[in-house]
Amino acid sequence: MYTNVFTKTMLDRLKPPLIASVSLAVLLVFGMAVYRGIDVSFWDELPEAFRSVFGIPDGADVGGLAYGAIYSGYGMLTMAAVALAGGAVSIAGEEKNGTIGLLLDNPVSRTTMALSKAAALVMVTAVAFIVLWLAGILTPLMLDVETGTMDINALVLMMFVNAIFYGFFAFALSGWTGKSSVAAGVSAGVMVVSFIAVGLLPLIDEVAGLAEFFPWYYFSSGEPVLNGVSWGDLTVLLAGAVVFLIVGVVGVSRRDLRSQSVGTKMIDRLRANPMTHKAAEMLAGTARVSKIWVKTASEHQALLYVIVPLLFLMSVMIGPMYTMLDDTLKSLGEQFPETLLALFGGGDMSTPEGFYQIEMFGMMIPICILVVTIVIGTAALAGEEKRNTMGLLLSNPVRRSMIVVQKTWTMVLYAVIVGLAAFLGVAAGSLLGALGMDMGNIAATCALATLLGLAFGALALALGAATGLTPIASYGAVGVAVVAFIINGFLPLNDSTAGWAKVSPFYYYLSSDPLINGMHWGHAAILAGLFLVLVVAAIVLFQRRDLRQTG
Amino acid sequence: MTNNVAIHTQGLTKHYGKVEALVDLNLDIVRGEIFGFLGPNGAGKTTTIRTLMDEIRPTAGTATIVGLDTHNDSVEIRNHIGYIPGDLAMYPNLTGRDTLTYFSNLRGGVDWTYVDALAARLEADLSKKIGDLSTGNRQKVGIIQAFMNKPQVYMMDEPSAGLDPLVQREFQGMMKEAAADGATIFLSSHTLSEVQRVADRVGIIRTGHLAAVEGVQELRSKAIRRVDLYFDGPPDARTFESINGVREVEVRNHHVSLSFDGHMEELLRVATNSHTLSLTDINSQEADLEEIFLTYYREEV
Repeated sequence: MYTNVFTKTMLDRLKPPLIASVSLAVLLVFGMAVYRGIDVSFWDELPEAFRSVFGIPDGADVGGLAYGAIYSGYGMLTMAAVALAGGAVSIAGEEKNGTIGLLLDNPVSRTTMALSKAAALVMVTAVAFIVLWLAGILTPLMLDVETGTMDINALVLMMFVNAIFYGFFAFALSGWTGKSSVAAGVSAGVMVVSFIAVGLLPLIDEVAGLAEFFPWYYFSSGEPVLNGVSWGDLTVLLAGAVVFLIVGVVGVSRRDLRSQSVGTKMIDRLRANPMTHKAAEMLAGTARVSKIWVKTASEHQALLYVIVPLLFLMSVMIGPMYTMLDDTLKSLGEQFPETLLALFGGGDMSTPEGFYQIEMFGMMIPICILVVTIVIGTAALAGEEKRNTMGLLLSNPVRRSMIVVQKTWTMVLYAVIVGLAAFLGVAAGSLLGALGMDMGNIAATCALATLLGLAFGALALALGAATGLTPIASYGAVGVAVVAFIINGFLPLNDSTAGWAKVSPFYYYLSSDPLINGMHWGHAAILAGLFLVLVVAAIVLFQRRDLRQTG
Repeated sequence: MTNNVAIHTQGLTKHYGKVEALVDLNLDIVRGEIFGFLGPNGAGKTTTIRTLMDEIRPTAGTATIVGLDTHNDSVEIRNHIGYIPGDLAMYPNLTGRDTLTYFSNLRGGVDWTYVDALAARLEADLSKKIGDLSTGNRQKVGIIQAFMNKPQVYMMDEPSAGLDPLVQREFQGMMKEAAADGATIFLSSHTLSEVQRVADRVGIIRTGHLAAVEGVQELRSKAIRRVDLYFDGPPDARTFESINGVREVEVRNHHVSLSFDGHMEELLRVATNSHTLSLTDINSQEADLEEIFLTYYREEV
């Protein structure tokens, strides 16, 4: 192994997993602090469906609830996603950057290079999990929470191995294809599908056995936090990881290395073919570059292809699911302390509106819209500067303000499309499940979610306008969004701090219960106002500033 | 300022914090002129161009292009400018033609037969994606982009980066033709042979200060040249060392080799003044810009 390849890769890749694990550790402290003050015995009476979706094991106490909700569920997804992102770029990333030739120009064999990168991936993941493990042990001590027989060691070990499994899966695809986007996309798709399948399949007796075909099963079914390490499951995951490692190493050794080529897409083939040239040209050629906002939209269309179908399908599914679970939910409705559900956006589980609020509107829909707006907001100015194309763009007779306005217009368009997908999905789900939800109220809630997303997208835009730095724009906007979400979720739990929730934009999204009460125009105006103020700030800041030149 | 001035700067200064990237630049470039802008890496060439393009704003001083203020009238100015940024970056997913269409849509009114003619001249493949092109081929798209509007002023920062010698020649021809048609070209370059071939005047910039502005011909005539003198007997080195402007005298048998930047007349008088020796042959190599350039660089150290 080459220690310098190992060390460099490790240092390059340490930041994302570390940020993820520290954020999860903070969430764990928050979660446990909240659960501590609440009678949680009702969880045992909840249907299996809920506990398995949230990753809560049977017989869990306060510690188990927090570990389950924060570590096994969202935490595991986050850490696996970070690991697979690292795996996806480990080899293909160097090819994309055009640096792999330079690296292999040294007397380094491809096999050793790939193994060094794999070792670095394991190492950065391990460092992140050590943070999670320490937080898992220290938080209950700090908050004086009894964790009983909960086995945090086993949970963190299984999580680590599961993360490595997905990391190496992406590594294998990355090594074999040399395409980081394929590696990340396929492995993330497999992860999400298997997570959902393993949560839902066991609920239906006829197909329960199929869950074993999904890798997530070998992480979650043994409930390590309750039962300790399942060595059989661990072996399955490890064996899978080793196979992926071999595939990746063999893959990179056997093929031609890629140059910085951008690759040929379907539309390129259609343009090249004389039969389809005209049609393809109209779709993607001249039309695509007719205006700044159209070109911006064309650059981000992949986002829509992923998010719109996913959001739509999930929104539809929740309706029939509610009908299936209806009776159990109604009997338990009273027992749910509202505070507990703050983590998931709040809502009364016994009504379809409340169920939709917890499952979709609380986190899923705003996350989808925020991802789209923040990505566009970041790329709009800071991204164009990072790619060094802003100078050339501005050598044309266009005002800087016009560039901001046109790119903002794309952001608005995309946010509305995602909001519309959510509306259509929820409306269809309500019709399918015969839930009788008010269409106007669904529309109002989706509109508020869209405005919320736009406010944070405009924040990313303004941060990019002020600094020209993509990390500041994206991490800044995401960071503020997470803090705002937590403020809105947790401050109302205590009467003395409840008023402060109003500083969070999230307050103006759901606090008026728009699914029940319809549009709250005042709150909509506040969110729209925030969006406009930030866009104007972006224009002013961008006009004043020296453009950056990187490289 | 007369109407004939295309680019005018007055006390143009740019500081990055405490770093003085550009100090008190005063420059007038007339219409139809090709102005070569030379300097070592980090001397302030790109800073100058980016300030003129209003990408960055001067700490002090002002500049005008075709009589318009580079900051206040920047949008109007850009109607008249063709620009090739240093370290040219474009959109990797667009083809060359898409890229040109994008920019022509922002400008309006591009003559596509002219674009095609430029592409043919530079042998540029506009159907390939920018990301799939080599540096030189990408640069060709950048050049076409700058030329396609037939602008009044060309701002070019290292425009021939990556071009092969044949295409470089073609590109130099394009610059000369543009200048002959009355356009002004501000050419920042390291390719000294290119500057020597096309530029009317050059400015040499060093650590943010304009060290010299002169016509290429004057600069060359004043520059140090290598002179070889051949005699019918062994000459005395001391005879030549006393002449103004003579350096590095080397004598080998009947041959004297020296560096010279004084008056040729004086050198010839000394060489032919001897009663014992006669001059049999003389060989003077005209200094090229590279030597002048290197001299300016060395003075810096």
